[in-house]
Amino acid sequence: MKCAVGIDLGSTTTKAVALDPLGRILGRGITNSRNNYDAACAIAQNEALIDARFTLVRRALATPAGAGAESFVDHLTRCFRLEQHLDQLAQLREATLGAAERLQGSGGAPGLRGTVEGIFDSMKEGAGQAFARGAKKRSDFFRDLAGGTYLSLAEKAAPAHGIPFETLAGLFDKSILAVENRTPEENFRRHIDRALDRALRESPPADRREESRLRSVVAATAGEDLEVELTVGTGYGRARLPFPKEQIRFEILCHGLGAHTLFPGTATVLDIGGQDTKAIQIDDAGIVTSFQMNDRCAAGCGRYLGYIADELNLGLHELGPLAQTATRSVKISSTCTVFAGAEIRDRLTMGQKREDILLGLHRAIILRAMALLARSGGIRSEFTFTGGVAKNPAAVDALAGLVRENYGEVPMNVSADSIFTGALGAALFARRAADATASSAPGAAS
Amino acid sequence: MTLAAGIDVGTSAVKCAVVAAGPGGAKILGTSEGRIRRRDTRAVVALVWEEALRAAEVSADRIAYVATTGEGEIVEFRRGHFYSMTAHARGALHLAGGARAALDMGALHARAIRIDGRGRVLDYRMTSQCASGSGQFLENIARYLGVTLDEVGRLSTTAAKPERVSGVCAVLAETDVINMASRGIATADILKGIHLSMAGRFARLLGAAGISGEVLATGGLAADVGLVAALREEIASQKLSITIAAHPQSAHAGAIGAAIWGAWRHERLKESA
Repeated sequence: MKCAVGIDLGSTTTKAVALDPLGRILGRGITNSRNNYDAACAIAQNEALIDARFTLVRRALATPAGAGAESFVDHLTRCFRLEQHLDQLAQLREATLGAAERLQGSGGAPGLRGTVEGIFDSMKEGAGQAFARGAKKRSDFFRDLAGGTYLSLAEKAAPAHGIPFETLAGLFDKSILAVENRTPEENFRRHIDRALDRALRESPPADRREESRLRSVVAATAGEDLEVELTVGTGYGRARLPFPKEQIRFEILCHGLGAHTLFPGTATVLDIGGQDTKAIQIDDAGIVTSFQMNDRCAAGCGRYLGYIADELNLGLHELGPLAQTATRSVKISSTCTVFAGAEIRDRLTMGQKREDILLGLHRAIILRAMALLARSGGIRSEFTFTGGVAKNPAAVDALAGLVRENYGEVPMNVSADSIFTGALGAALFARRAADATASSAPGAAS
Repeated sequence: MTLAAGIDVGTSAVKCAVVAAGPGGAKILGTSEGRIRRRDTRAVVALVWEEALRAAEVSADRIAYVATTGEGEIVEFRRGHFYSMTAHARGALHLAGGARAALDMGALHARAIRIDGRGRVLDYRMTSQCASGSGQFLENIARYLGVTLDEVGRLSTTAAKPERVSGVCAVLAETDVINMASRGIATADILKGIHLSMAGRFARLLGAAGISGEVLATGGLAADVGLVAALREEIASQKLSITIAAHPQSAHAGAIGAAIWGAWRHERLKESA
């Protein structure tokens, strides 16, 4: 099958969307951004293609997505993610042990190797928990999952083995970069067999016939040739995207088109991403008519929450739900993200509640976005909220409240796919360009 | 002689010093430090405290006065607390007798503190409430580049073509750095560029406080040889008549100053008792 891919290289996450020949979403991929753009794009695209294969399995088994109980495909996906995680964990173990060897060789910290081995043994043992049914994952990214576990284990291991915590933390910082910058082969085949065996073992099918049907569908999907016809890139640092110039689109246009595609009635878009917040006005064809962006300061955008999450040792997913449990809103006086982080630590030491502080932070971010919206021409019906922060329920609550206060009852759209809006827009541009090329080519037929 | 300890609770690290002080002056018996990095600050204080006692080879019950500075309120066993400028000024004077100013370079703030020959604060200038070019910023960047903090300084001094980082948001600058790395700029050049932009800011601070002569760099960043070297370069290029002194225990100046003031206060309390 031929697909068109859009890649949105953001400051914190890189997103990819693959469309099938009919322009339907086939797969979505996301990874944390890193200092190697080619790797970030390759990994995001690779993840979208893996997701695309699961979509094909879903289509072949006629399983609707997101139907209440966990379907076999959902279970298979979970098992696949676990296999992938274990594989990366093995690579990280290798890299960290290598770094420990070198350090030990230069006369630093005896017994380091053994300590690191112990940490990784525990990590492997506990890996299954994060991928269990209904488990709340702290993050979708290997770096965060592995980092969180490694550091908490290192903190316990350090005094027990008489090794400075900083030494162990430094080993991780060095090794994770090497591991996460490896560009993957599309590794569906590499993990799917083990994942399938695991899934069949954990939820056995009704009979032999059902089992062989599942096996043959999965095998056919694994063998399917997914050909990327055209990739269009957008997002932060467009100037450095690893694509030829004609395959790059301005991100505002991508967000406008993406939002229009998700919600055709959209007139105003608020996109809160990692490091910029955009207020965009579009016409009824999804074409941008005006926009406003924030200054280069983290205080008004997603990185603010990301930074605070790190400070509080929380996963990004945990912030919103935690803030929703607040009984009051605490105002943090610092504007600067880093200062706010330090202020929060002091306040926590004084005994103020995490959730109350978080509620105040969410409100602060949304207040800044409201000012931006006002400058761009206000909120018109319908209003669509996109970007990574739209996945945060406390941010959505805060925004809905402030919109009602300032603009009355305006329909507000938030999609589960909100983080992929820019990538979707880019993919649509790619689809159009690929179709245009195909229809103008002699003897065109796909 | 009075045995006293100073605990300097910073934003990113806890420093501790044990001193023996008397009429003839003070002697540092032992120092220690621990980076907080997502750990509970109280737990780090406990570790650092034990380590300082070990280094000084004294038991806790022999310490007559425990003084804190920085965010010292969380140290429950303290007897007294001193403002960080007061502590840094006294510590600077102890480490460099000729210094008439301290440049306290911490995780969030930098302060240029003008002092007299007795360690009293005459005037000061402080950086703004924005972490652009702060120590915390440097720490985040180093983590992004996979460099540990104790390697940063040495690596920076090997830079051939420093790449300047303009005064951008501390959090978003991480992405500028990622950009640089993706353009193939060497880690050493990135670090040196950051050091130079930080140093430029600090040099302007010294100028604004009307400081000249010998200045001791203090605070956590004083241990960063790359930053201190960049600071000397910036001072030369801004044509300031300042010499930057450095001392192996510069980073502990706050803790040392707090301990010395603590011992002094203990003596005064004894006299009035």
